[in-house]
Order: sequence, then C-alpha cells, then structure tokens
Amino acid sequence: MKSRLTLSYRNKELPPFSCEFGERRHVIDLPLIAWLTLIWVLLWSTLSWANVITGVVVSVAVCLAFPLPKVDLGLRLHPWGILCLVTYLLYDMYTSGIRVTRQIFDRQAHEAAVIGIPLRCRSDLMLAATAVAVSNVPGGSVVEVRRATATVFMHVLDADSPAALDAARRSVWRMEELTVRAFGTREEIARVGQPPPDTPRSGPERGSA
Amino acid sequence: MSAWSQTADTAGAVLVFLGAATSLLGVIGMLRLRDVLSRSHAATKPQTFGILLVLIGVGLRMRSGMDVATLGLVVFFQMMTGPVASHLVARSAYRTGQIDHERLLFDELDEQLTDER
Repeated sequence: MKSRLTLSYRNKELPPFSCEFGERRHVIDLPLIAWLTLIWVLLWSTLSWANVITGVVVSVAVCLAFPLPKVDLGLRLHPWGILCLVTYLLYDMYTSGIRVTRQIFDRQAHEAAVIGIPLRCRSDLMLAATAVAVSNVPGGSVVEVRRATATVFMHVLDADSPAALDAARRSVWRMEELTVRAFGTREEIARVGQPPPDTPRSGPERGSA
Repeated sequence: MSAWSQTADTAGAVLVFLGAATSLLGVIGMLRLRDVLSRSHAATKPQTFGILLVLIGVGLRMRSGMDVATLGLVVFFQMMTGPVASHLVARSAYRTGQIDHERLLFDELDEQLTDER
C-alpha cells in the first residue's frame, strides 16, 4: 500500500525539497511553505507556536488553492554571493540616487537613448532577477526584456558620450554576474564567467548620419 | 536613557529626515523631467533609496528584533516590486507611442520592433 506522505528523497521523480500526499497526489514545495510561514510570522510581529502553526496551515492552504506549475526554477542560494550582491546594490542605489538628483537639477537637458544589451545568462529566473537588479543601475531603467535572445533594453538618461553608454553596458554585465553568482545554478555561473558578448556598435556616431 | 540609545535615536531621526528629503527629490524630478521614461527614473530610484533610509531610521528607533525583521520584509518587497512597476509603466508607455522619438538620441529597440512587423 502506498503511504500517505512521500518525501522527495524517497521518490526521485519529485522536485527537490518537496513532499507528496493524499489520494490526488498534491505536491507541496517545502521551502515555499517555510518562506510563506516566515512572512506570516513577521506580519504578526510575534514569534509564538500559535503563529507558526497557523502560518503553516495558511501557507499549505494557499499552496493547495493556487498550485504553481511544477518547474525547476534553477534557484540556488549562495550566501557569499548574496552578500556581495546586497553590498553592491546598496552602494549602487546610493550613487544612482545622487546621479539622478544631479540630472534633475541640471540646466541643460541630457540626451536620452534606448540601448539593447545582450546578456549571458539564459534561465528565466536569472533574466528576471538581473532586470530587477539593473533597475537600480545609475541612469538606467528597463523598457523591455526580450526572452528569446536574452536582451535587456534600457533607457539611459545621459547618452551624450560613447563612454557613458559603455559604462551603462558594463554595469549591467557586472550586475548580471553578481546576480547569477548569488542565485544561479552552476552552469549559469560558468556562463557569466565568460567575457561579455560583442555588441554591434551603435551610438551617436551612427545616429548623426 | 543611556548614551547608546540616545545616539541611536538621533541617528534614526537623521536617517528618517534624509530619507524623506530623498523622496522629495524624486517628486521634484518627476515635475522637472520631460517625458515618461525620464520621469520613471526620478520616480523609482530616489524613492527606493529614500524608503530604505526611512526604514533604517525607524529600525534604529524601534530596536526590537521582530520589528526590524518586519521592516526588512518591507524593504525586500519594495525592492522587488518597484522595478517591476516602473518597467511596466515604461513598457506600456513605449508600446502605446507615448515616447517622443525625436528626443531620443537613438533607439535600438525600435529597430527590433520594426523588424518584426
């Protein structure tokens, strides 16, 4: 007879860290339950057994009511990488705040442009995480992400000089590398270890023709 | 009141003030810049940094582990959702033709969209 509850290390068909139970074989992702419970406890601001237990019950109910598709997201947590990413993000938010402020008060208007930047990572999650992180890059805001070619299109406030454009591209690639080193699988990390792809040169020199 | 908690209170007050001032700069930027895409820069970056400063300041005044963790949760969701919202605004503005293409120096996305048609 089949047992009521199967953990993933007994059944290799299940995704890692999940369990399967009941007649209809509901699959529950245990890290997701833990995360939802943590949010629940934090929202109540009191760590007590009652809160933890109701949190687990509520998050299991939510996961059963709104089941997510069974995909391997490719999310791995690397503590050191996350620390580097957070530190860099804080520093970057500080500098980008200052730069945007300076651009706001500049008398002469800046030339803006939309540039496309090809990324090296291929997984959906890494693409999304990079786009979120890149939104904090000085003077860049994401307009469009193309999934098929893994290209991020962003609006740059000061596109006057080719040097500024190069700096924007480099900071996106740097952010991509940090993000993937914090959350990516081994293959993705190997991919971002390679030098950035060559971009077709475009810029003011062509636009002026 | 010990010297330490007084220092933390003062630092917290300064941080809350700085955060509010940073958010105010974002509002001024929204008024001064000229099109949707530039304004979305001003609307997201100083504001995210401002709310981070305000919440660190509040955390310094509250000083209880659970409350600080809740503030951390607020910062986390702010940083996850802010860029998504600004991206959607930028994307829909671009696609509905709210962008003044004359004012852009050049536009690599437009070429790609044109190729598709």
